[in-house]
Amino acid sequence: MELTRRDAVTALTAAGITATAGCSGLSGASGDADPTAVLVDVAGVLYPSEIEPTAEFIETFMFGRIADEESYREELTAGIETLNRLATDQQGGDFSTLSADQQTAVIEDTELRSGTSEPDGTDVERVNYYLLDELLFAFYSSPTGGELIGNNNPRGYPGGFGYSPPLEQ
Amino acid sequence: MSTNESTTTTNESTTTNGSATTDRTPVDDADVCVIGAGPAGALLSHSLANRGHDVVILEAGPRFDKEARVDRMKDQLHPTHSDNEIWDMGGERDEYSNSGEHSWPINQRRVKGVGGTSLHWGSVVPRLYEKDFEMQSRHGIARDWPISYEDLRPYYAQAEQEIGVAGDDDTPFLPRREESYPMDALPLSYSDKLFKQAGEALGVTVHSMPMAINTGEYDRNQCQGYGTCQFVCPSGGKYSADIHVRKAEQQGATVIDEAPVQRLNHGPAGEEITEAVYKTPDEETHRQTADTFVAAAGAYETPRLLFLSESAEYPNGLANSSGTLGKYFMGHPPAGVLGIVPGENTHQDEYGPVVSGGIHQFYEYDNPEDPQRASVNMFAINVAGPSPATMAMESTAIGDDLLQQVDAQFGSTLGINMSIEMLPREDNQIGIDESTTDNHGNPVPDVDISPGEFARKGQEKGLQVGSDLIEELGGNVVYANGTQTMEHDEMTPLGKGGYHPLGGTRMGSDPAESVVDPTLKTHDLDNLYISSGGVFVTSGASNPTLTIMALSLKAADHIHEELRA
Repeated sequence: MELTRRDAVTALTAAGITATAGCSGLSGASGDADPTAVLVDVAGVLYPSEIEPTAEFIETFMFGRIADEESYREELTAGIETLNRLATDQQGGDFSTLSADQQTAVIEDTELRSGTSEPDGTDVERVNYYLLDELLFAFYSSPTGGELIGNNNPRGYPGGFGYSPPLEQ
Repeated sequence: MSTNESTTTTNESTTTNGSATTDRTPVDDADVCVIGAGPAGALLSHSLANRGHDVVILEAGPRFDKEARVDRMKDQLHPTHSDNEIWDMGGERDEYSNSGEHSWPINQRRVKGVGGTSLHWGSVVPRLYEKDFEMQSRHGIARDWPISYEDLRPYYAQAEQEIGVAGDDDTPFLPRREESYPMDALPLSYSDKLFKQAGEALGVTVHSMPMAINTGEYDRNQCQGYGTCQFVCPSGGKYSADIHVRKAEQQGATVIDEAPVQRLNHGPAGEEITEAVYKTPDEETHRQTADTFVAAAGAYETPRLLFLSESAEYPNGLANSSGTLGKYFMGHPPAGVLGIVPGENTHQDEYGPVVSGGIHQFYEYDNPEDPQRASVNMFAINVAGPSPATMAMESTAIGDDLLQQVDAQFGSTLGINMSIEMLPREDNQIGIDESTTDNHGNPVPDVDISPGEFARKGQEKGLQVGSDLIEELGGNVVYANGTQTMEHDEMTPLGKGGYHPLGGTRMGSDPAESVVDPTLKTHDLDNLYISSGGVFVTSGASNPTLTIMALSLKAADHIHEELRA
């Protein structure tokens, strides 16, 4: 299943969320690699295998729900540097240059998921907070993530109110 | 005595005003100075400004940026953050003490800023019942209010119109009303309908609850279904009092934010307040004069302000010649039931508003078959248990394993929360702790409260009803406790007390036994009013904010008449 932007933009724009501003403000290259592309790679590890993350999904569901873009841009840039440092130490190259198995190993064999997630913590704790948790929020608070667990409007997603199917007898 | 230290150390927040550049100097020739920009202060200020009075509102907290609500909502769902952090509560500004036997997490239950605690409320707005005003004459317990439900009824209707309430005129049990709700009721959610079905087998009636959520007819955004109304509504579909602060400003009122009032000073004879002394972020001290002053800083801070304003004429605290200031403090001791119905998709999260249905069948006293227990206000939860995103962030798994975990944990929960009546007792009180000071060197509020057997019986009733409903549906009850049924300090933060602070500046006709009169004017000072849950004489069990708003609108009418005279 490829995550597309079409439904997301419709929903978030209807909700008054400035999805397009988020896209233009955060997806531009700010170093060696396009940060969105790095996040797509990380999402490929975090998200279920049947999902194929796209830049559009990241831009809409993640960047589109970040209010303070300026602060976030700094965390994103620093977080990718930390991620690449861990990837180089573990697997010998920047995260995006690694194979899928190597990328999974970087996340599984460091404190990236198993460690603490703190907005004001260590470099790794900040990667957990600002990159990994944001990606997880983007997915599991979207209709795409919700559908996989039988829920079209998971908490945190503005999918409208009052959905109340009839009782199953 | 324990002092409660928060994990947050500052109260920095994203505000629409630059602190350094905002003019926070006093307003000349103000008619009314209102202390606090929460629901009480907001509706009162708008009511007065709308009738041509010059109103200035002094608010201790900031004016929050609405755009940043999305970030606050994410903080709410992130497992790292505690509830007080969502709206920047905590730190030296908000220090408090607990001298009672329980910790009382008040910073997780309140917000300082324009909009006040309504920024994080659940927006459930039942009225108090007729009997709540007459517990002494009807049942020989507690004390009667000096006003009746009928006195307040038109103001309830006015408050419902102002804030936009969706409700069902035919809801059983709720007190008599002569006016329709401004909006049709929210439909029952899927889980409400499950509870209703189970209730029909058990003789329990599940009905819609009145909610201050815009379904499309009010001039604010419609609910968009984030499912996070308590504690953040990013869309603004949930009513919050910043709306009436803004309306008051449009009618000429002035709001001075980040301006905590340090004390109220009175004239030489001690008959009138002359000025409110407040600080600003630049550490300057200012003095706001006005003809009339209204303390609307909530039931925790208002008594504290009056204690801090002691003088030679009022050595035990301003407006405290009765000696009742801070006493007869109450809350609504909470209880909750959480269950899992194996294999059932209970459609949690999908509905949007966190509450749409409830049970008021046990909002009663002296049922011969179940005598002398607290009234029970039960509301079914549409977001029982953690959200999928919270589960995912809490886990250490990735990929398919993570999906399987979330899928297994999410989707079959049911929950009912409840607020419970508590009797007023003199020894339950808000005081000040001289040994601990806030960021301005003022002694902090101290909470000493122990709900009693009356409340415990109410919790047990509600927990039994909730458990029976879940079991009738084939579910397993995984949690059923209240503050009076287990060791309070071992509860999770959400389970502890501190909700709905009431009393401490109670209303009465006798100046020897109360702080304010039926118009909410203090008995002692001719131009000082108190508008907050602090004036409640009894607690009832209904969520109190609508009553606070109704009382504020009533007080505004009295102030208007006085100013006009």
